[in-house]
Amino acid sequence: MDDKIRFLIVSLEGESFALPITSLLEITVARNIQKDQKLSEIFEGKLDYRGKMIPVVNLKKVLKLPGNPGGGLIVVKSSKGVLGLLVDTASELLETTQKPFRMPLGVLNPSLHYYAGVLRNREDLVVLLNEDGLLP
Amino acid sequence: MMHNYLLFRIAERYLGVKLQGAIEILPWRRSRPVPLSYSYIEGIMEYRGTVYPVFHLAQVLGLTRTGPIGFTAHAPGGDALRKGQSIILLEESGKPFGITVDSVVKMARFEDPKDPPAEIKGFDMKLVKGIQFDDDQEITLLNFERLFYAG
Repeated sequence: MDDKIRFLIVSLEGESFALPITSLLEITVARNIQKDQKLSEIFEGKLDYRGKMIPVVNLKKVLKLPGNPGGGLIVVKSSKGVLGLLVDTASELLETTQKPFRMPLGVLNPSLHYYAGVLRNREDLVVLLNEDGLLP
Repeated sequence: MMHNYLLFRIAERYLGVKLQGAIEILPWRRSRPVPLSYSYIEGIMEYRGTVYPVFHLAQVLGLTRTGPIGFTAHAPGGDALRKGQSIILLEESGKPFGITVDSVVKMARFEDPKDPPAEIKGFDMKLVKGIQFDDDQEITLLNFERLFYAG
């Protein structure tokens, strides 16, 4: 029986984050994004994804990181619908049998739901994003 | 009642924490920053299968200016000046955590202080348990019960 869990490792301003493969629909490059002034500043715009318009989220804006929007686009399904997420790079696939650690208490306001836990990838800690908690 | 305390130094001040349960002292290393964490959080680190939040204790105590909200704590001068500092890993009410200090001084035995002073100049008092003296050196003893509610 295969009890490995798989995560996509993405990079934002040099730090690694992970998304569960189970929510992943596509890894591509950011292009043909249509600006939409009605969307809030965390959105870069909208994109035609298989005939349907989906919002494209600038993850650096969500996480208050500096820098330009990433050039990589990750399409995920979430409880808020299908989303495009801009990242700097999608670097590798992490296959692991470890369960994610919980984010330790005291690190951030418990009302924030951006993270689903912490993973170890070789010597590094990777913050696991919660695709269902990225949008307000 | 007498207890063992670990004495350490931050910003020319001597501080102490009561020794209870496991304690680890590590050379300072860069923690993994977490976006949107409290400004006094340096990041998280893993040690022997446990993930610790690492508190920039000088900032928690108000001994340095805090950074902008939403950004992880960074010392002036960058990581290079942190060499020589230490991270102490502790536990409070079952919650593991780490603190960064300039240097670990020694262990000492003290009577538990009765009452904290009303004020110490330049010091946020929420973690202060009391004052003791070791060879005429004033030691501020800390209690981390309120650390997790410091935000």
